[in-house]
Amino acid sequence: MKDLLTKINNIATQKFGAQYSEARAQKIDKTMLTIKEERVEAAKQGIESGVALRVLVNGGWGFASVGSLDAAILESAISDACRMAKMASSHLKTPIKLAEAKVVTDCVRSKPRKNPAEIQMEDKIKTAMTVNKAGLGYDKRIKSFTMDYMDLMGTSYFVNSDGSSIEQDKLYVWSRISGSALNEGVFTFSREELGSTAGYEVFDEQTPEDLGEKVAKRAIEQLGAKSLKGGTFPVVLGPNVVGVFVHEAFGHLAEADLALSGGVLAGNLGKKIGSDLVTFYDDGTIEGSFGAFKYDDEGVQTQKTLLIKDGVVAGLMHNRETAQKFNAKPTGNARAEDFRVEPIIRMRCTYMEPRDCSFEELMENVKQGFYFKSFRGGQANLDGTFQVGIQEGYEIVNGEVGAPVRDASISGNTLETLNKVDGVGKDFLLDPGRCGKGQIAFVCDGGPHISIKEVVVGGSA
Amino acid sequence: MAVLKKDVMVNLAEKAVSQALKKGASEAEAYVYEGQATNIGIELGQISKTNRIIDRGLGIRVVTEKAMGFAYTNVIDDPIAVDSVISKALSAAKASKPDPDWKGLPGSKPYASLEKTFDYKIAELESEELVKVAAIMLDAAGQVDKRVFPIEGGIGCAYISNAVANSNGISGFDKGTVVECSIAAVAKEGNSVTPVCFEFNASRSYEVDPVWVGKEAAKLAVSALKTKSVETKSTTLILTQFALQDLFAYTLVNAVRADSVQRNQSAFKGKIGEKVASEKLTVCDDGLFAGGLRTWAFDGEGVPHQKTTVIEKGVLRSFLYDNYSAKIEGKESTGNAGRAGYLSTPSIDTTNFHILPGNKTADEMLSEIDDGLIVYYLQGAHSSNPVSGEFSVVATPAWKIKKGEITHCSRGVMLAGNIFEVLKNVSLVGSNERQMGQLISPWVQVENVRVIGK
Repeated sequence: MKDLLTKINNIATQKFGAQYSEARAQKIDKTMLTIKEERVEAAKQGIESGVALRVLVNGGWGFASVGSLDAAILESAISDACRMAKMASSHLKTPIKLAEAKVVTDCVRSKPRKNPAEIQMEDKIKTAMTVNKAGLGYDKRIKSFTMDYMDLMGTSYFVNSDGSSIEQDKLYVWSRISGSALNEGVFTFSREELGSTAGYEVFDEQTPEDLGEKVAKRAIEQLGAKSLKGGTFPVVLGPNVVGVFVHEAFGHLAEADLALSGGVLAGNLGKKIGSDLVTFYDDGTIEGSFGAFKYDDEGVQTQKTLLIKDGVVAGLMHNRETAQKFNAKPTGNARAEDFRVEPIIRMRCTYMEPRDCSFEELMENVKQGFYFKSFRGGQANLDGTFQVGIQEGYEIVNGEVGAPVRDASISGNTLETLNKVDGVGKDFLLDPGRCGKGQIAFVCDGGPHISIKEVVVGGSA
Repeated sequence: MAVLKKDVMVNLAEKAVSQALKKGASEAEAYVYEGQATNIGIELGQISKTNRIIDRGLGIRVVTEKAMGFAYTNVIDDPIAVDSVISKALSAAKASKPDPDWKGLPGSKPYASLEKTFDYKIAELESEELVKVAAIMLDAAGQVDKRVFPIEGGIGCAYISNAVANSNGISGFDKGTVVECSIAAVAKEGNSVTPVCFEFNASRSYEVDPVWVGKEAAKLAVSALKTKSVETKSTTLILTQFALQDLFAYTLVNAVRADSVQRNQSAFKGKIGEKVASEKLTVCDDGLFAGGLRTWAFDGEGVPHQKTTVIEKGVLRSFLYDNYSAKIEGKESTGNAGRAGYLSTPSIDTTNFHILPGNKTADEMLSEIDDGLIVYYLQGAHSSNPVSGEFSVVATPAWKIKKGEITHCSRGVMLAGNIFEVLKNVSLVGSNERQMGQLISPWVQVENVRVIGK
């Protein structure tokens, strides 16, 4: 494989004068299941293989993807990519350059304790059925229950014209469990996700019964929840919501491509923008976590990247292109969903560092407001407006957790909100998730409980 | 790379079906997909990226003893790989559990002949031409105002074809083209940057107006620079197609899917024939809409596309069915089995979700509003409750309408409510219809929506 990919890169550099060329071949096996109530909708298996070719010619990018490892097809694809890059480069004002990256030769094997490939499909179905039965059996008012399961195993072969050559295994186990409840015309919906790069042992951390019950319990509790009256309130956020807040409100703005697009962080490097309590990392090194890997899809080793330290913006997430523009080092954040797409800057495991408050102290900070425990979706905008939807929340009355509230969301401006963080807990939790930025990336996010002096809370009452 | 011919695709599908039957499947269906796309990308104010993506594959569903197995591969030129994927589908079916409700794959029905879904001009576009169009769009955006920065966009064209065959005699082939050009821009002044403003043209035939796209995106961005807050209250909204598309996709669409209804996940259950929306509102799912972005001869199971009236003058008329959900109720599929190429099994989806237009132009709609907001883009629509239809989202941004005029932009405005209330509170449907993904719609005016200002 290395020889073939090297040969293809040589065509780009020698025949078309490319400054840079990389070839990324992948072979992927997937197993998927969808169980609705106690019905297996389908047991699914997939095989994919293909090559992504990326070249830099006269400062312009060319990219080609083909679902083939055939030498003749790859030669034709790299020629197409070079010609198109050359054509596009005719309109360039600022030719693209890449920051230096270490030349690497490595082979990375995944070592799951429980290899998903060695677990029979029947056993995977049994686990999923157990989850759904536990959910449906929790309460008669649970009306539907869905478990999606996927495992992905494969190998990536990366060779670039700088001389790097990396063979790296990929392993992901993911599951989404959702349930809905109905009582007297009131509908509720609840979901959880699991995700790991360690192996099938992720199902040992929580038993299938516990998973099903957890999702069902929330849907039932929400039946009694009231819509809240929107406005500006102090809040306590649980680790699950803090994670999404860090990811959406700050993480996306700290992606160097978005910073260059006009995001509010580019001009604030080294400046204090948040409360002293605010320290965030994006970390690809947490073994087994859903955002972990050793090398990114530009062949750069992953790292623990400090984004903001005690309220001061410390760094951005880079690929080789943006690192060159900022005169920084690439941080190993260039990720591609698969061989069909180009690597772009993506988060890995993004979290807030814990401090020393107890949950009770945080609740004291708020007195009257809301405790938002679990999220459902979130989104960022370049102007620094964030939104996080809430699937589980409660009133806070006199510093105590009160009645549940339904289908709220929080929003605000990132810079303003980071200054309003007035308490950070000592606990810590990470949750897996999937982030959409044109492509899907498997990520993790989390942190401790925190309190915020004020955010805008959306509710329909 | 040359595209696969009709007979090659159909033969591959038919052969896979007959092989699966030979290997012991009681029923089988094969879906073959090819997509070839060329894109010229704009990033950070310049044309700097190009790509060409060729994706082909085969997905096969087999049934043994009422249990379903599925497998796919993108290696279709190798008979051994195809044979092995059929075996994988069969072994998946054997590991799976029988479904007592399974009543068989769909049977064959004639397909309509389509208009305006394939344009040889798109299929044969040279990348030089695409680069030219991207440059025109970029210049148009830049000429509107110096403060505009086009952050992303470009032009892409694609050829897509698919073939489907099953053991009940279905055998179909369809091909189509699509071209799309777009600009996402912000405007910057001092330390202030606007939310991302987006415009695009998408068409099945080679009809795009890059100058319009560039100018409109830029104009919106500039108009979002100066902002004032709005007060918290219930107000009149004009929802543009961007907002409608986002909001409906995560709420209303779930409610009209037959599987949601059957699984008690839809507030519309048992409400066929009842008034569920304002009488101003008529919604059809029209898989045959001339030139529709989701117009194809058949769905992901080879069932002919059709036009289904979902809501007629506010009265709920029909849900959207695939073959499985239809057979549960002893009905016929409405041709709404969606499919993510060869990678997935079918699941119910809209084709072209068409909000039928009314008589008022956009200008007339604006001029008749005394106090309200017009909303272009929504942030967080995917966090809506897909079952209850409750949403709590941010308008990024909204523009204030006062005495018939757009007066200023406002950022960070939150909108909260329930989609089923919104449907009842529709007071006006415009005539300015346009296509956006699965939606074909004009602007829609809604009364009494909760707005939370700062």
